[in-house]
Formats: sequence, structure tokens, C-alpha cells
Amino acid sequence: MTRTSVTSESFGPQVNSYLIDNPLWPFCKGCGHTMVIRRINEALVSLQLQPQDVALVTDIGCIGMSDGLFRAIHTVHTTHGRSTAFATGIALADSVLAEKKLKTIVLIGDGGAMIGLQHLVHAAMLNVDVTVLICNNFVYGMTGGQGSGFTPECFVTATTPDGNIVPPVDICEMLMSSNAAFVGRTIATDKELTSLIAQAIAYPGFAALEILELCTEFAVPQNELTGTKLLAVAEQNGWSMGLLRAGTDRPPFGKKYLDNILTKPTQSPRKSAVRKNLPKPMGIDGPVSLMIVGSAGEKVQSAAATLCQAAVASGLRVTQKNDNPVTQGSGFSLSEVWLSPEEIGFTGIDRPDYLVILSTDGYRELVERGVLLRLGNTTKVYIDESIDVPVEHGKVKRHAYRKLFGPTLAAVGALVHIARLNRLVDSEALDGAVQPRLKNDAPKFNQAMEQLMGKS
Amino acid sequence: MMAEGAIQAGCAFFAGYPITPATGIFKAMIDELPSRKGLALSAPDEISAIAYCIGASMRGFKSMTATSGPGWALMTESVQYALMTETPLVIALVQRLGPSTGGATQGSQGDVLLAEYCTSGGYTIPILCPTNARECFELTILAFTWAEILRMPVIVLSDKEIAMTTESVDYESLPQMTSQDRPKNSAFVEFGEYDKERKNGTYYFHALHEIPIFSPVGGSRKVTATGSAHDKAGTLQKNSPETIDVLAHLEEKLLWRADDFVAVKQDLDPAAETLVISYGISSRAAQDAVRQSRKSGAKVSMLTIQSLFPVPRKKLRQATEGVKRVIVVEENLRGLYRSVIERYLGPIQVRGVNKIGAMITPAEIRSVIEGAV
Repeated sequence: MTRTSVTSESFGPQVNSYLIDNPLWPFCKGCGHTMVIRRINEALVSLQLQPQDVALVTDIGCIGMSDGLFRAIHTVHTTHGRSTAFATGIALADSVLAEKKLKTIVLIGDGGAMIGLQHLVHAAMLNVDVTVLICNNFVYGMTGGQGSGFTPECFVTATTPDGNIVPPVDICEMLMSSNAAFVGRTIATDKELTSLIAQAIAYPGFAALEILELCTEFAVPQNELTGTKLLAVAEQNGWSMGLLRAGTDRPPFGKKYLDNILTKPTQSPRKSAVRKNLPKPMGIDGPVSLMIVGSAGEKVQSAAATLCQAAVASGLRVTQKNDNPVTQGSGFSLSEVWLSPEEIGFTGIDRPDYLVILSTDGYRELVERGVLLRLGNTTKVYIDESIDVPVEHGKVKRHAYRKLFGPTLAAVGALVHIARLNRLVDSEALDGAVQPRLKNDAPKFNQAMEQLMGKS
Repeated sequence: MMAEGAIQAGCAFFAGYPITPATGIFKAMIDELPSRKGLALSAPDEISAIAYCIGASMRGFKSMTATSGPGWALMTESVQYALMTETPLVIALVQRLGPSTGGATQGSQGDVLLAEYCTSGGYTIPILCPTNARECFELTILAFTWAEILRMPVIVLSDKEIAMTTESVDYESLPQMTSQDRPKNSAFVEFGEYDKERKNGTYYFHALHEIPIFSPVGGSRKVTATGSAHDKAGTLQKNSPETIDVLAHLEEKLLWRADDFVAVKQDLDPAAETLVISYGISSRAAQDAVRQSRKSGAKVSMLTIQSLFPVPRKKLRQATEGVKRVIVVEENLRGLYRSVIERYLGPIQVRGVNKIGAMITPAEIRSVIEGAV
């Protein structure tokens, strides 16, 4: 093995070739891949990139074997179609978290481009500094010449023995419509290919080149294809050739992220909200469970969260489990809360100590779950007076929560009422949690609460 | 709390895709990571999400993603890639009821074996399983340490009932633990030059259990990474003896140090005839049940397993000493983890408490404990 020669002191060693010496080319005679690899090497030489500043990410299939041909650059051989996604991860991290120095190049075939279409589209949308060279020889070569999403119409392949009846994808159009910044299409024998690849690599954002090639083993013999016929194939498919988009003004993702997102101030560690050494609330001498049900949109779950906040500030441990239909904006809304001076184990509630029923939607859900049948005689049930249904177990109290507080404050009103009546949390902590969320409703809410407490 | 743990562990990169019940982690990372100068972004699917994370980790940064069963199914291709390329990665897998899209807001512990046995070859993937919000924090940090030291993917296996239940946590009492960083190559080596023994090779080790020292893509040592069978230099090989060594090494590097990669909580009674084993959300009900049963006179021990894999064999052996029966509590139909540990329990009678669709209650566990005594 001979070493790369050193000629320039100012810019590190001059690199004459990034390939291994005397490579054993793994490709068939006449295969376009060999030409493309040579052109990539020439492009790298023309750019004189430092070897450690280049990452070649290869896909699966014949073209994926190219990583072994390169000596003096980082190579990452990946899985089918995913090469672009792994490269995107490398480039994202490099552009935001590291020195923004890497040039990441993806080598992918037409099969890989099809199975990994989404990764190409998203890399183009993000505008990451990744150059994708799509080596399109119209077939899956390594597995025996099956047709791909890039196979032209009428092409005979192993899986289209009577000629392909599905028109191929125009990847360049697709990527341009995904905001790809730099897009071109050419053939492997193009004399300008080295220059095109160099321009694509040098471009500081997403660049894609589709390179039409011959698969001499499969595509050529079955379709009387020759190098000169490649342009005709492109024309038949309506594929535009040459440099189709030579960059845009859009900054790459890394720059946008650094400028727009990473400008947030650094956060200090969170402070605990627990007040230490508090006497425990009088109503709590062990774990207490509370279940509240109402209708979606009536702030049931956030009211329960407010109670939990007050409980935490009172030095208690809490858990809160919410449930609602998956669409979130309709039907019932439910919270299950445990308040406890000790660590809480099981977070479910079989038979609540307190049950709050605020709407018919909520009542129906309780019936469905069989909760009402399981109630013990000690359960305190607080039910809105508007719900005219019998509750046969527990100590039932009916109050005009909805009428007094209005539908969106009925939940918090009911919970404050119950917490105060039963001394579940420290009253100062309760005020501290509830008052900030009331805002303009505070006078009305406090008046209604006084009225309710007066009655009880 | 997993996001908090990840940030404390030094996670710098997160890519995610929304899925109930794991979305909370995704959202927290989007909200919190930028203020810690990290990168959090939305991927167009779970396959991209995990691939972005692996790419970022190869570049040298601690990375994490989060998903649930349906997303996990898409990620397993790249979990194998991370294993094969010895890339550190943490995946939060928040279980929901399956199969398929199952029940998005229903809890389950049905992904235990799906997560563990996701590789061709059945390689041991470390799985840490928290039981509450605080442990989500602690075990996520531990997961980063394991991933970094071992150079492999590590799973934090949570479930809907833990992820979507709000729980009080005293931040001031959280341990100030941090995660270890992967050892990195620092000595200068002329780029792309391998010595005769290829000690600069991307995957060089001497003994099978040794962990190759990490070099980032973009660093001063050439990286030759590949998901295909390879030698210690990362060169594609078919079945040379060295390549077979590399494949064995991928398992050996964890098993050789398995005793150091253990996390359990023991609540043992030396006179116990019954041992309850559980993990994750079910262990909370099991612990309640054990406490209640003891009050009514039952002699019972409790073992909560936080490190499901590698199986903490020594801890199992210790906990089962003198015990006549073992009860394994888990929220799945057939006792998935029970099927794994049964073989380590010898002649001891083993039975399961299993259920799907709702959390197992302390009463259900108690009836088995007290029925068994």
C-alpha cells in the first residue's frame, strides 16, 4: 500500500485519491457504478476536502458495496433505503451540535430510493447538508434484476417479464416539489458528471443527483439498452436532464435551528414546590381517593390537577389518572386522584372515598364502569343537582355547582368545596393553587363559594 | 420524568414521532432540549426518528427517541442496526394494549418479549423498567450510562399507566446522578491508516468481551461502520473466523459484565414461603398486596425487577432461597416475563397473576398470595 502523498503544508496533505489503492472493483464489466465511483473520487479531489470531513453513507444493493472502495473518508454502510435517514441524523447533529464541518454523501440505488422515498422527501424538506446520488439503473441488480419503482414503461425485468405496465416515478420532480435546493439528472457517462457531483457536494444544503446507468447484467440484455440509448429512455419518460435547480435562498435546517430555536435562555434546575415540615391536613390520616366525572371541555381534568397542586403544596403525595374518549373533545371527562401522606402504590380506584358527578355524560360513564354499584356506604358522593338520577349507595349530597359557578368552573368549584369541607388540603395551599387560574372570574367564583360554604 | 432524566444524562439529540402514550416524552424534549443547547425535532415516521438518532449518536452525541408498540414495530430494523454498529442509543418504549394499534390509552405490559427479542440472533438488549415517575428519571439516566458504556441500544420500558398518570415528585430529593460518557478515542492516528493488528479499526477488541473504543464519524480516526457482517476493522466479510468473533462479541460484551448491569428492589422476609415477583406498573399493586397480606400474617417476600434484561439471575437466586412458591405479577395474557425466568427457578412452584385491559389490583394479587399460603 502506498500512502497519499504530502505536497501542501498549509491545507494538510494534498489528497490525490480517496480510493483504496488498486481496488478490486466489485461491479460487473460495464456497470455504471464503477464510473460513478470514479467521478465521486474526482469530485472529492477537486474539492480537496479533508478526509475526516467527509462521510459516505451507503445503501443496500450493488451500489451499497462502494464504501469498501474508499479508504480516506468515513464510511457508514446502512440498511435498505435508510441511508438518507442515517445521513440526515449525522448531518443534523453536525450542523447544530458540532462544528458544522462534515460533508455527508449518500449513495443509493433506484430500489433504495423507492423503499426510502420518505427519507429523501424529508431530507429535502429539512434542507440538511446531505448530497444524495441516486444511481438509477432501473432494476434491483443484486437480487436478480427485478423491476423497481424507477423501471420505465415496457421494460422487461425479472418481475415484469411481459414489459412493465406501471409508469416510473420522476424522483427529481418529486424532490423539487419537496423544496429540494439542488437537483439534477444526468447519465453516468456525462463528461460533466465530476463537476456536477462537486457542485452538489459543495452546496451547503440538500442536493440530489439522479444518475442514469446501465445494469449490464440484467437491464441491458433484456431491453437492448446501450449507453447512448439512456438519453432516449429519459426522453420517453419525459424526464428533464441536466441541472434542474441550482440552489435556493432557503437556509439549511441547522442554521435555521441555531438562529430561531437555540436562542432560548438556558434554564435553571426546577425548584421543588413542596413546603417542608407542614402539619398534615386534618382530613388526611391515610391515602384518600377521589374520582371526578363531567363532560369534555368543562375543565374537569385541569380542576383535578389544581387540587393535586394544592395537595403537593400541602406536603402530600398525589397521583392523577385521566380518561376521556380518544377524540378528546366530546363525551365524558374523568380524573382519578389519590392524595396520601405516604408513597402511593396502586393508582387505580376501585371504590372511591369521594365521588364528584358533574354531568350526565359523566354519570353514564360511571354506570358503564360499574362504579356506582361498587360504592361503599362511606363514599361521599357529591352530585350536581341538575342530574336527576338516583344514586343508591354512599352518602349523597346534591349541590348547584353548575348553576353557581357556570359549566367551566363547576369542577374547580366542586373540588374546592369538597377539599374545604373535608379538610383534604391546607387552605392556604388551596388558595395558592386555585386563585391564579380564576383570573377575571375570581370575584364571581369567590362569592359563589361563600354562598355554598354558608349553606353547608 | 424520562425527558428530565434524559436531559440530566446529557442527551443532546432527540427525534420523535407522535404516538399515545409516548407523546409526552416527545413534547417535553421539544420544549426542554433547546434551552439546554440540544436538538429535538419531529421526524416524518418512526423509522426516520430512530435513524436520525443513530446518525447523531454516530456523530458523537447522546441520543434518544420514544415510542409505543406500533412505532416500535417500525423501529426494530434500526435497533438491530444500532446493535450491529455498536452505536449507543436509548429508546423509551411506552407500552399500550396490543396487538396492532390495540388500545392507545389502555395500559399493558405486553411488549416485554417483543422488545427483548427484536433481533435476528436473539441478542440480549438491556431493558430497564421503571415503576413510578421518580424511577423514570433515575432509570433513564442509568439507561444512558449502560448504552454509552456498552455501545448498544438500551430500552426503558414504561407503560401508559406510568406515562400518563401525573405523579408528585420532589425535585430537590432527586439524585444528582449523571450518566457516564462513552470512552472516546483521543490519541492521534494518521487518518485511514491501520496498523498490522488493526487496533485503530472501528470495532477493534482483543478479548471477545472487550468493548471497542468509540470514534465519532467526523473525528480524527476513520470510521468504517456497517450493519453487515464485518471484521474488527468494519470491513464487509462473509463468515471469516474474525467475523464470527465479532458476532459473538456483540453478545459477550454484555453477558461478561451482566452482574454489573442489575437493578432490582428487594423487600425480603427471611421466613417467607412465598415470593412475589413483579415489574413496572404491576409491581406497585403487588407491593400494596404484599404489605396488606403481611398484616394478615402471610410470610411473603417481594422482588421488583427493574433490569428485566439481562435477567438478574443472582438476585433471583437470592430472593428465592427457602421459598416454596413464586407468584409473578404482570399485565399481559400469558405471563411473558414469567416464561423467561421460570427456567431459573428450578423446582419451585411458579404461578402467574395476569390480566389485560385494566391494571391488576392489589385485591387480585392478595387473593393469590393468601390462597397460596
